[in-house]
Amino acid sequence: MKALDLKLLRDLWRMRGQALAIALVLAAATATFVLSLGVHRSLTETRDAYYARNHFADIFAEMTRAPRNIVARVAAIPGVQRAEGVIQQYASLDMPGRNIPVRALVNSVDEHGHDRLNLVTLREGRMPRPGASREVVVDEAFAEANALGPGDEIDAIIYGSRLRLRIVGVGLAPNFIYSLAPGDIIPDNSRFGVFWMGEKALEAATDRKEAINALSLTLEKGASDADVIRKVDTLLAPYGGTGAYGREDHLSHAFLDNELMQLDAMTEVIPPVFLLVATFLVYIVLGRMIRTERTQIGLLKAFGYSDLAIASHYLKFALAIAVVAAVAGSLAGVWMGQAMTRLYAEYYRFPFLEYRNSPVVFLGAAMLSFGAAALGALAGMRAAARLSPAVAMSPPPPPVYRAGMVERFGTAAGFTAIGYMITRHIARWPWRSAITVLGVALSMGLLFATLQFLDSSRAMLDSYFFRAQRQDLTVTFTEPRNEDVLYELAQLPGVLRVEPARGVPVKLHFGNRMERTAIESATGDAQLSARIDGEGKAIALPVAGLMLSRQMADKLGVHAGDRVFVELLGGRQTKSVLPVAGIVDEFVGERVYAAQATLERITRDASPAGSALLRIDPAARDGLLARLKDMPQVLGVTERDAAMNKFEEMIDDNLYTMLFFYVGFASAIAVGVVYNSARILFSERANELATLRVLGYYRSEVGLVLLGELALLVAAAVPVGCILGYWLAQVMTAMFSSDLFRLPFAPTRATYGYSILVILASAALTALAVARRVLRLDMVRVLKARE
Amino acid sequence: MELAFRGSALGKVYRTGETEVHALRGVDLEIRTGELLVLLGPSGSGKSTLLNIIGGLDRPTSGELHYGGTDLVGLNDRELTRFRRANIGFIFQFYNLIPSLTAEENVRLVTDIADRPMEPGEALALVGLAERANHYPAQLSGGEQQRVAVARAIAKQPGVLLCDEPTGALDSKTGIRVLETLAKANRELGTTVAIITHNVGIAAMAQRVLHFLDGRIARTEINENPVDPQAISW
Ligand SMILES: Nc1ncnc2c1ncn2[C@@H]1O[C@H](COP(=O)(O)OP(=O)(O)O)[C@@H](O)[C@H]1O
Ligand SMILES: [Mg+2]
Repeated sequence: MKALDLKLLRDLWRMRGQALAIALVLAAATATFVLSLGVHRSLTETRDAYYARNHFADIFAEMTRAPRNIVARVAAIPGVQRAEGVIQQYASLDMPGRNIPVRALVNSVDEHGHDRLNLVTLREGRMPRPGASREVVVDEAFAEANALGPGDEIDAIIYGSRLRLRIVGVGLAPNFIYSLAPGDIIPDNSRFGVFWMGEKALEAATDRKEAINALSLTLEKGASDADVIRKVDTLLAPYGGTGAYGREDHLSHAFLDNELMQLDAMTEVIPPVFLLVATFLVYIVLGRMIRTERTQIGLLKAFGYSDLAIASHYLKFALAIAVVAAVAGSLAGVWMGQAMTRLYAEYYRFPFLEYRNSPVVFLGAAMLSFGAAALGALAGMRAAARLSPAVAMSPPPPPVYRAGMVERFGTAAGFTAIGYMITRHIARWPWRSAITVLGVALSMGLLFATLQFLDSSRAMLDSYFFRAQRQDLTVTFTEPRNEDVLYELAQLPGVLRVEPARGVPVKLHFGNRMERTAIESATGDAQLSARIDGEGKAIALPVAGLMLSRQMADKLGVHAGDRVFVELLGGRQTKSVLPVAGIVDEFVGERVYAAQATLERITRDASPAGSALLRIDPAARDGLLARLKDMPQVLGVTERDAAMNKFEEMIDDNLYTMLFFYVGFASAIAVGVVYNSARILFSERANELATLRVLGYYRSEVGLVLLGELALLVAAAVPVGCILGYWLAQVMTAMFSSDLFRLPFAPTRATYGYSILVILASAALTALAVARRVLRLDMVRVLKARE
Repeated sequence: MELAFRGSALGKVYRTGETEVHALRGVDLEIRTGELLVLLGPSGSGKSTLLNIIGGLDRPTSGELHYGGTDLVGLNDRELTRFRRANIGFIFQFYNLIPSLTAEENVRLVTDIADRPMEPGEALALVGLAERANHYPAQLSGGEQQRVAVARAIAKQPGVLLCDEPTGALDSKTGIRVLETLAKANRELGTTVAIITHNVGIAAMAQRVLHFLDGRIARTEINENPVDPQAISW
């Protein structure tokens, strides 16, 4: 081994603490990079493999009722590979000991196993047999939540008549990875299940002989989905078709996609922060190293080492750290990625799991790590290369301190000599001080942005559940109803107020953009629902025209005053042009609203209500739910409080796990930055500190000189961290917002407090650990050696 | 005459791994209050070790050491620090000034924590640097820096000044100026002064000279007529 390389190894060993601190930050960058890309890729591939294996369809359509032979006509559309029709029927379940309404979506399956699309994967038991009239397969989440399995029986009310269903199997399907009861906005597996029942049995139970109400199809390679959708819509129009749609509008698929998008966002925000900090750290550590090794550098050059050899010696130092970081970070990333993928896969109940990470990801991670280290080393390398041997071997010019701002301020503040020592040192190394401040501030910002996520989600929930949704219960009807049922509901004991909720499915066209949605409406005197804007203000329905949520307006690209083309779906297929009267900054969903009169003009009818909003007397809740459960018109009941609890559970599960990691990551940055600054400070000041000890300063007082400077820098990092966090949080909320919801920026005071606290604590602990070295200082030896 | 230090059978063993270095092998000494003492001897003979032990920077491995009525061997680190703070002024070969502090501020470093210090300006005036008070170490010559170090050491009016080769890095002219300030402190403030040196000539200014050899005091020489530093042949 060459002598210079030997020096490299010794240097690395001597500076192992600092090298490790840098490696820690770099490894965190690599780990998050490998982690999120790995999880993203694994989940995407698992999902795609699942889709492929179970033949998840490309296009979906629902209608009121169509003869089964329509399937052949759909299949004949050019570009369609295969089409299959099914019956989908909601059922109320009467489960012993449960007085809350439980619902199921019953899907028909071919008893002879001829289905080829959206196949069920059996986890237990078998599929329904031909001729069996009451056999069902239930989805696994529902079975687990209700402790059900093959052999158990459930009483169901399907299409008005009571039927005792017998569970013969437990299964999963690619079109119900994520499932929602109508009226719900969050899955509740104990209250909603997906069932599969023999086609003939379901035809008989729902009085739909040789008829279907839903179909799905796959496309041939290269076929245009827009063309096919248009043709399917034309075919289904006479049968109350509500508009065919692709995967991107399919509830289960869209939700999964949203989750994957958030993983992507994580990759884009987090690793760059770490990389930046690591670059800074390499910069200051190498800078210091080269200053202390001037004489050695001069000597080596005098011996005939080239500038390039010297520069590459220091580059190797940085790269050695990067190698360790890339390897450790990749290993950690794979390990965390596997655990996280497993968690996700369990959550989504993928029938199998493939953890995948491509070599490209590791290569990318290594490149990032190397790049950051090399960039940080650049300034030091240049300084080392430029140093002329003669200059380098003469003792370094003594650090020049000048009277400046510090003096004026210090005199005014009545500084002690120690006070001047601290402040002048900071002013003497402005870059390094700034980098320490920035590094600590970045770690705080990262923490702040993560914590703000909780605030943001809570603010969204608050806006949605407490301001927009003021009803206690949402009662969904089996089919749209007129006013009679509202009166009936109002008569039930404990019901304080009833309001109808109407929604008609439409397609909105603007320019060449199109969105499938439903226009929602409320009566003029509605109290139980409101549209809440970003400031928390309720926005009234426009007298004429439509009101769009911000998400929907952005998707269509419309502004207030634009005119959109409205195509009514299902039943009467009317077309009209309506102005956009306003846009409301809502957080949840892409929605369209209109006044009741406007809606009736579009439908040319007194439009019936699909559901009703109820305010109830809490004391009467149990009795009321039992009564609702037995009403034949009632398909289901959504309780606002239960939904909100579910939401909070989900936030707690997902975000707190994430938070746990990020608190660790952010602390790692703070620790890395503070540790390196402290070590450099300590080595620069060993002489001064020893002198103070000789002069009779106590260890605690000497420690103060060291810690005082760090404390000042960390204190300066707090406001900077708040600003960075504020900005980072805004970037992150914007990136994490999706079609499903938009996150508000709403940091609470506690979030400021916690991020400051965690960072101060990490900084303090690190600084104290380094300060312990001051206590072990060998005064005599330090003073004997000339600096 | 009153005794400042009384040490008996002082031993110091440095252990580095397997090897043991006996830096002091049973030193008996008395230092009288107000005397000016010079420690002479070849390099490695244990002079610095003794001075550091006397000054409370280090502890003997064996033997006894008293300062006035205080048993120095029994003191813990904090007590030793308090002892230094109250009684000892150090001067080293390398001046060990704080580069970020001006001459006056370097002196204030001591007056900030001393019990009955003089004004920093007064201490600088004593070493003849009153007009350089606002200069940083980098703006002073080596001799001037060492005089600031002397001013810093005497500013708290210590009982004892311990100087380890104070002129080691200086030429004769500036070295003599530094020695003059030490003699002046001894004369005018009554400070006990101990000076380590290689330079045999310097011994002429001492009242007593301790000759070191191999971790022991080989010989004590009493100088009836100490000379003024000006008269030293360098
Ligand atoms: N910290 C130490 N560790 C090990 N040996 C030491 C240490 N300090 C001094 N010594 C040894 O003790 C002996 C006396 O040293 P010192 O008192 O510095 O001598 P002097 O000041 O007379 O030149 C020398 O041999 C020296 O190498
Ligand atoms: Mg010595």
